[in-house]
Amino acid sequence: MSPRLNLFTANKAAAALRQPFAVARAQRSVALPLLLREQSTPVQKRWNSSQNHKKGLSPDEQKFPTQDQLGHVGEEAAEMDRIMHKEKSCDGQPSSPELEQGSPVADILKRDKEGLKHMPKVMQDQLKKSGSRSFSTSARSRLPELQNTESQDEISAAVLADMIQQVNEQVAARLPEGLKFDVPVLPAQKKTLNFRKRYDTMQEQFTKMLMQDGKLARAQKNMSIILDHLRTSSPPNINPRRPLMGGPPAPQLPLDPVLYLTCIIDSVAPLFRIRQQKGIAGGGTAVQVPHPLNLRQRRRAAIKWILDASEKRRDAQLAHRVANELVAVAEGRSGVWDRRDQQHKIGISGRANLGLAPRRR
Amino acid sequence: MASSWCWSCLSRLRAPSTPRAILPPQSITPRLTTASFHSSAVQYANPTKKKGALVAVKYRQGQTLRRKKKKTTERSRPPAVGERKALRKRIVLSNPNALEVEGMQDLSAETMIDARLRGSVLGLPVPMLDQLRAVQAFKPKQGWSIFRRPGTVLRRDTLEMARLFEKISGEGDAAEKGKVVKKIITGLKGSGKTVHLLQAMAMGFLKKWVVVTVPDARELVSGDTSYSPIEGTNPLQYVQPNAVSALLMRTVEANRQVLSSLNVSQKHTGLPSLKPSSTLEDLAKLGFQDAAIAWPVFQALWTELTATAAAPGMEKDFKARPPMLVTVDGIAHWMKESAYRASDFTPVHAHDLVFVKHFLSLLQNGQASLKNGGMVLYATSTSNNPSIYTLEVALDQLAARQAGTSPSSPDYPSPEAYSGADARVLDLFKPTTGKEPQFELQTLGGLTRDETRGYLEYFARSGLLREEVNETWVGEKWSLSGGGIIGELEKLGRHVRTTAQTTPVLN
Repeated sequence: MSPRLNLFTANKAAAALRQPFAVARAQRSVALPLLLREQSTPVQKRWNSSQNHKKGLSPDEQKFPTQDQLGHVGEEAAEMDRIMHKEKSCDGQPSSPELEQGSPVADILKRDKEGLKHMPKVMQDQLKKSGSRSFSTSARSRLPELQNTESQDEISAAVLADMIQQVNEQVAARLPEGLKFDVPVLPAQKKTLNFRKRYDTMQEQFTKMLMQDGKLARAQKNMSIILDHLRTSSPPNINPRRPLMGGPPAPQLPLDPVLYLTCIIDSVAPLFRIRQQKGIAGGGTAVQVPHPLNLRQRRRAAIKWILDASEKRRDAQLAHRVANELVAVAEGRSGVWDRRDQQHKIGISGRANLGLAPRRR
Repeated sequence: MASSWCWSCLSRLRAPSTPRAILPPQSITPRLTTASFHSSAVQYANPTKKKGALVAVKYRQGQTLRRKKKKTTERSRPPAVGERKALRKRIVLSNPNALEVEGMQDLSAETMIDARLRGSVLGLPVPMLDQLRAVQAFKPKQGWSIFRRPGTVLRRDTLEMARLFEKISGEGDAAEKGKVVKKIITGLKGSGKTVHLLQAMAMGFLKKWVVVTVPDARELVSGDTSYSPIEGTNPLQYVQPNAVSALLMRTVEANRQVLSSLNVSQKHTGLPSLKPSSTLEDLAKLGFQDAAIAWPVFQALWTELTATAAAPGMEKDFKARPPMLVTVDGIAHWMKESAYRASDFTPVHAHDLVFVKHFLSLLQNGQASLKNGGMVLYATSTSNNPSIYTLEVALDQLAARQAGTSPSSPDYPSPEAYSGADARVLDLFKPTTGKEPQFELQTLGGLTRDETRGYLEYFARSGLLREEVNETWVGEKWSLSGGGIIGELEKLGRHVRTTAQTTPVLN
């Protein structure tokens, strides 16, 4: 039983024997109408739109609707059966689907010198013709491009494969025991320093509250004086009854003034505000109900208290008044702490009123 | 025939005769009062609410708008006189919180010419800080206060200047003892002109030169110090005794060691109280004890310092005079009319002030005047700076000459017609003649990337900058600073960015 020749692969056979140049030409003869159509398109191209970088398939990658059609399910089953049981190759093994598709003519022609003599005239012609064209082509300009892309594709594919292999080896070497994939990146590690905003959130909030008469630049200048004061003044002696929350130990605070400032503000920030709610107790009396604040609101309250307290200081410059008040807060000397304690005391006593709804009359 | 209806009856007749319409009238014109898609007519709408029913009128309460006035807190008394200015002018040179930079070298005669140290920050020697303070080398807004100790970058211009110092001092391979180098230093804002002068002063102190400085040129022309005309001068010139006295004080304070080792070697007829055996320090001290003779004392001191040999009969202990460094910062103020007025109330040109004239004349006759050699560095300023067209043209001319353009060529810049260019300024900047060397224009640019890296690493090692200083980051900052303008780099270096926020703990 001789393996059947598949004439669909005849082109590829010729490719194996000849230069790639011929391949391109042979395939172009098939894809000529396509090419022509492609060339006609630039007339309609919109130059004002962004270029479409997606490359169209090269002619040899294009599929035609009739190229690989699957048979019916029944046909397929019959075919399978034939391959597995009836049709054996010479060594008694069931023939593979590849064999069924037909062995490439190239292979046959390589080992069969007799076959070379008797091969079809078309293929003989193709072998003989090496340089000259039997037909004219209008797509002359595409020729070098096609060849280039092909060769570049091959090169880049090889490079890519090489890179992938290297990376795989590295990953395999680096991965800790028991992990199949890369160590997951936690959101905290993803944090980038490239802020969209120039200043830290808290610093910005403080600066805007420091602003008078809408003069932001002056407020920013004052803010920088405050930060420099925090940076150069001696580290705070922390009162153990009024510790700063979070952050590094006190001697390290001045080296990071924004963190220092954040610690101070967050430490004296109240957790809630006291709402005067009418209509709970009846008789027109207002009842004090604590109302929780979010982070920004809490900081706002603290900054307001600090700015109010700094008004009473005697330093000549606003920035120095505020900076001295901030240091006083850090050392637990400021009246802002008492204000916070008072607020929290009222809030604790008022939390019994939390569930009460105002009475309807 | 009279009608049987009287007028009143007729008028009465009208009201009941029109019966109330049961159906809405079919009007031809569309009604504008109701929307067309409404099926109900206006008549069936609910009666409108009475106006004013909602506003409850409260009794015994005023209707006028009252606003609370913000209480102004009473501060007991304003800060003392001069306290604000002192705060403004205060110079802080140390921040005890900043980290000590390990392995930081001091500026010395060896390190200042060491090209391997280029780009690194060299600390100013601690004993020299008092001298530098005395000549007012530090300016308030230069950011010395955030580092542990003051230091400056060894950049290319610094190295070149250091080699000049070595040459003029008569050391090294190509010694040119007695040479005078005259430079006008310009550059963009924040490019380090004043610090360049500071480095020059530091090198002058290291090489035991005599350093004479005018830290702010503006003070001499702003009309703040006293002035008096000098008799018999034409055109009339003016002397500023207090400013000269202050200059003498600065010079003595900073150069005490050098001046006290040199003795008077010339005869000064104008100063009878001067003993022949006194030192130059004693000579200068005469000037700041009595401001009236400050100018003659300054002239005497200048002749002493520039003397190459003693007067006959006074050779006993004559020592060779050291080279001199003369620096002026903010030279543009000296290129216009001053705030002083003549007796006929015409403004006095800055070049008519004898103090200013003395320093400016060094550009034209520096070599002749400074016989022991030295350096004359005049820097322009970009902060609090008058815009003077003639100076711009003059500096352009200087640059063109330096680039090889001949003054007779058509490409040579010249002031525009009718621009009112100041001839005295142009005259000052004209090329020198004879044996006198030409003065140069030195334009300070940005640091190179390597120097930038060294500078920013200094910030990081001082604990002020919490970033990884790598090639990418440095390149980014270098670009952001307009190509390494050092003032901008300093802003970027001290700009605090928190890497981590404290998480608020609820307690």
